[in-house]
Amino acid sequence: MKKEIMVATVAELPEGSHKIVQVGSREIGIFNVRGELYAIPNVCFHQNGPLCKGAVSGTVRADEQTSWKLEWVQEGEIVVCPWHSLEFNVTTGECVAYPGRRLPTYSLRVEDGQIFFPADK
Amino acid sequence: MNPTITDSTLADHPSSTQLKDILVVDVDVHVNETPQAIAPYCEMPWRKSLEALREVPQGYLNIPGYAQAQAPWPMFPDGSGRRRKTVTCAKEMRKDLDDLGIDIGILFPDFFLFHAALQQADYAIALAKAYNRWLVEEWLGEDNGLKGAVMAPHHDPVVAAAEIRKYAKHEHVKAIYLPTAMVDPFYGHRRYDPVYEAAQETNLPVFFHSVTCIHPTFPFNMHGFSTLFSAHVMAHPFSCIANLLSMLETGVPVRFPNLRVAFTEAGIGWVPWLMMRIDKEYNERRRDLPFYKGRPSEHIKKMFFSTQPIEEPANLRDLAALISLFDGENSVIFSSDWPHHDFDHPSKVLQIPVSEEGRRKILGTNALRLLNLEVAKR
Repeated sequence: MKKEIMVATVAELPEGSHKIVQVGSREIGIFNVRGELYAIPNVCFHQNGPLCKGAVSGTVRADEQTSWKLEWVQEGEIVVCPWHSLEFNVTTGECVAYPGRRLPTYSLRVEDGQIFFPADK
Repeated sequence: MNPTITDSTLADHPSSTQLKDILVVDVDVHVNETPQAIAPYCEMPWRKSLEALREVPQGYLNIPGYAQAQAPWPMFPDGSGRRRKTVTCAKEMRKDLDDLGIDIGILFPDFFLFHAALQQADYAIALAKAYNRWLVEEWLGEDNGLKGAVMAPHHDPVVAAAEIRKYAKHEHVKAIYLPTAMVDPFYGHRRYDPVYEAAQETNLPVFFHSVTCIHPTFPFNMHGFSTLFSAHVMAHPFSCIANLLSMLETGVPVRFPNLRVAFTEAGIGWVPWLMMRIDKEYNERRRDLPFYKGRPSEHIKKMFFSTQPIEEPANLRDLAALISLFDGENSVIFSSDWPHHDFDHPSKVLQIPVSEEGRRKILGTNALRLLNLEVAKR
């Protein structure tokens, strides 16, 4: 069984920031959204671009509830792939353009200011 | 532009290992020809114009007075600004292409994708000449897989032909770039015959390359759209279709039988549609084009079509089927469009389920034939 590994310190990830860490052969993006930590792979499923090198901001929504007008929503939750701008919700791994298509997400554990990546993932 | 973003995002992101065993020729990568860069190569008085442009703010593919993108669409923060989208020297380009798994790249301009929109003909011609001098001097000095496309200013086809002949003997000039966005009249007009004569005589292929903009020239009069989404869908393929049709109308393929023709940055989905459409039309209107003997689409089969932005249907087998509709295993050529916003990684093209031989042709050897390049095949 794989060991849980320390990937970053809380001090390295102030609210609203994100960073890419190495977990074995994989790269994982860790995001601090309003004080909560989230983790997704640094690989976009479109053309395998380095998704987590992108900027985090919000996105636009337009549906019946907004009377089909554009609304700016989910500020701080959306990462945009630097290769071709596909958007992902970092808190759920869901792709904004293709609801239902998700990247894996990982539950991180914090202890004594250190962030641990789960053992079994 | 965010000045802190210098990472190409390619460096630590290795290309598919499969690409190491395949010769990859990329027929469309872009160099950043700023006014400052080409000013020393520009004749007077236009050098003064370029020097004056130093004070003008520059955007992505957009410098008023030089390359105005005419993009009246909204932007949202960080939509696509998080990696550099310019390549400013040969060393940087070589490194990027290595990271992408590309062996040979054909260099096209950034800003001069809008060249045909320049109204001052003498200025436009001076810029084209300066670009060609700069390209040869600054980018094509080494035998490192970077190859040039000499720019042919449409404003004066006689000058364009002279530029082609001037640079054709350079060992790393392998193509001719015809600015296709906003060009008027289309490239089938007989005024361009000197360009095709020069291309045929020098054995260099002509490349049609468009760009997205709104302009009062068909098919760029896209003021009916409210989004870049629609304009970008239309701009590239429709200008290629319009110019290809124009060439068919005046019999360019039969009047210049040895001319090699390539269309870039329009994807390939439109090709079988156009072939079937013109063949249907030919039945009824042969008298409009009496110089063809049989289906005019046979001439399109001899032309080349670059992949980017490659269509990405849910099932990639559909793309393989589409390629088979026009014998594309022999005429589709890979392009990445690096470093532009909608570049394709070659590994995407590698995924199309064509035959192993077809894959090698599309990624490399078709382009070798088009460019008349001798390269040791892997």
